[in-house]
Amino acid sequence: MPLCVLEDIRKTYQLGEQEVEVLKGIDLLVEEGEFVAIMGPSGSGKTTLMNIIGCLDVPSSGRYVLVGRDVTLMTDDDLSTYRNEHIGFVFQSFFLLPYATVLENVLLPTLYVERSKWADTRKRAMEILSLVGLGDRARFKPGQLSGGQQQRVALARALVNDPDLVLADEPTGQLDSVTAAEIMGLLAEMNGRGKTVALITHDQSIAAHAGRILHIKDGLIVDGAGPQSR
Amino acid sequence: MNRFLNILGQSLQAVRAFKLRTSFCLVSVALGIGSITIIVAATEGAYKKAFDIVALFGPDSVLVLSGSDEARAIGQRDKTLTLDDVKAVEEAFPQAYMVIPMLAAPNTNVAYRQNKHQTFVVGSTADYSRGWTWPVVQGSDLNEEDVRGGRNVALLGVQVVRNLFVDEEPVGKYILVKGIPVQVVGVLTERGMTPTGANMDDRIVMPITTVMRKLLNERRYVSVFRVRFTDQSRVSEYQEELRLFLRKRHNIPDGAPDDFRIISPREVILFLVALTGSLVLFLGLVGCISLVVAGFVLANLFLLSVKERTREIGVRRAVGASRGDIRLQFLGEAVVITTLGGLAGFFIGVLGSRVLTTVAEFPIHFSWKAFAAGVVLSWLVGIGFGLKPAAAASNLNPIEAIRG
Repeated sequence: MPLCVLEDIRKTYQLGEQEVEVLKGIDLLVEEGEFVAIMGPSGSGKTTLMNIIGCLDVPSSGRYVLVGRDVTLMTDDDLSTYRNEHIGFVFQSFFLLPYATVLENVLLPTLYVERSKWADTRKRAMEILSLVGLGDRARFKPGQLSGGQQQRVALARALVNDPDLVLADEPTGQLDSVTAAEIMGLLAEMNGRGKTVALITHDQSIAAHAGRILHIKDGLIVDGAGPQSR
Repeated sequence: MNRFLNILGQSLQAVRAFKLRTSFCLVSVALGIGSITIIVAATEGAYKKAFDIVALFGPDSVLVLSGSDEARAIGQRDKTLTLDDVKAVEEAFPQAYMVIPMLAAPNTNVAYRQNKHQTFVVGSTADYSRGWTWPVVQGSDLNEEDVRGGRNVALLGVQVVRNLFVDEEPVGKYILVKGIPVQVVGVLTERGMTPTGANMDDRIVMPITTVMRKLLNERRYVSVFRVRFTDQSRVSEYQEELRLFLRKRHNIPDGAPDDFRIISPREVILFLVALTGSLVLFLGLVGCISLVVAGFVLANLFLLSVKERTREIGVRRAVGASRGDIRLQFLGEAVVITTLGGLAGFFIGVLGSRVLTTVAEFPIHFSWKAFAAGVVLSWLVGIGFGLKPAAAASNLNPIEAIRG
């Protein structure tokens, strides 16, 4: 069953007088349980594509169906709710709240839920933290952790609401190769448990962890657009 | 509801986390609320004091003072009211149940054995206590015979008793008033200070006849007389009638000023309110200005904070916070800080008014009103000046915010 269906997605930005078309008609299908890597040089439009897949941005034209609903027709509030329920983000620079504890950071997505799926969200968050190997660091502040540990916290935060899709934007960009391998191992583990993972990177060795690699260039996918075409 | 509380929890956490911002905003709000708390309490205190004094003064009575306003303004007190005026008023106003003249002999030397004191001697008709609603605690009031016979008897204020009698019971003893032996027949209850700082208890009351003949060598004039009316609700009406009556008796031509002055309970209140008014105005101005300044301090620091926390806002949006959630959080931070400031301000107000009351004998009365005014105002500042930064935070585009 397809999780994401993108049809002829285009995105243009107004840069002063000039109109710049960043995405020039993307067609993409991501099946549930896949591990996809999107690769491309900087300026290729991969971050824009990532933002659209993550419902942070809406395309200028085209259709995007995520978990059975057309996202392009949603209001800003609906998009917020949809992100909360279906998407978990992992960013390159972790983006943890420096003044909150590790546990509080993991709990962040659960605050914006009307009715929680879990009777005890703290217990749920602790379980996820143990899953990423930081069960004993719940009361630490992010500043007391190493980069790799911080990214694990971010991963736990992405997973706490049990999203359908984990979107990781250069998750290892600020980590050394050993730590990067650990994080990729965790992502692969999550994928092994059935979670769909989409990864953005420009690093070939990182992309190699994925089951399918898409290359994007000048706003178009040059290969790997469908699960069958690998 | 759960979500609402969650977000307010985030506000609280941010208030704790950004201590510098919190303390700056808190202090500036506290100063403004503090002075406004004092104003509310002072206004209430002034009114309360005024009504207390009117209750003592007698809400059904007016006071007629001799001498025009002009003369009094330059420190003179013309003698214009006579005992005949008093008698005429008594006859012409059946609606007055009591007309009592009074004469004052200030700075009179009194002594008991080796104890000496200088005090204010009041000459009064019988029933001083009833006329001025001022109870006698020991002994008895002056009676008709005392006045008719010009007897050497006196009622003492508590202050005089303290100065003259150490351990003895004053009633029945003889004291010397300007060298004349006078028997103490009673002691008045303690009244305390007037708002202008005079000690009400530092006085001696003697029959008016005795004071006129033996102390002042005065045959006709009295300094003041008091009229009490049976119908309290028509006092101001009677006041005007009394004024016209006295003008006619004194043959004052139209257009010329009165040569006496009538004071009613209403004027007592106005006087007291005017007394505190200037301070209230000053503090009110200071309070309002500092609250507005506090508001701008808050708005500025919050706008800076929004800029600083762009990434935090972006992350929150990414994990599912709506614009409304972000707005609520920042507004919540502002209101939490101003509420804390309001509470701190209330305590500043309580302490400040302590200082005011000890330094300036200023009437202050704290009630839930002063507290409520502080809290409501702090909320208004929080919402009013927090709205703009909160809107700025909620309108951030999540993509831009994450990019930083």
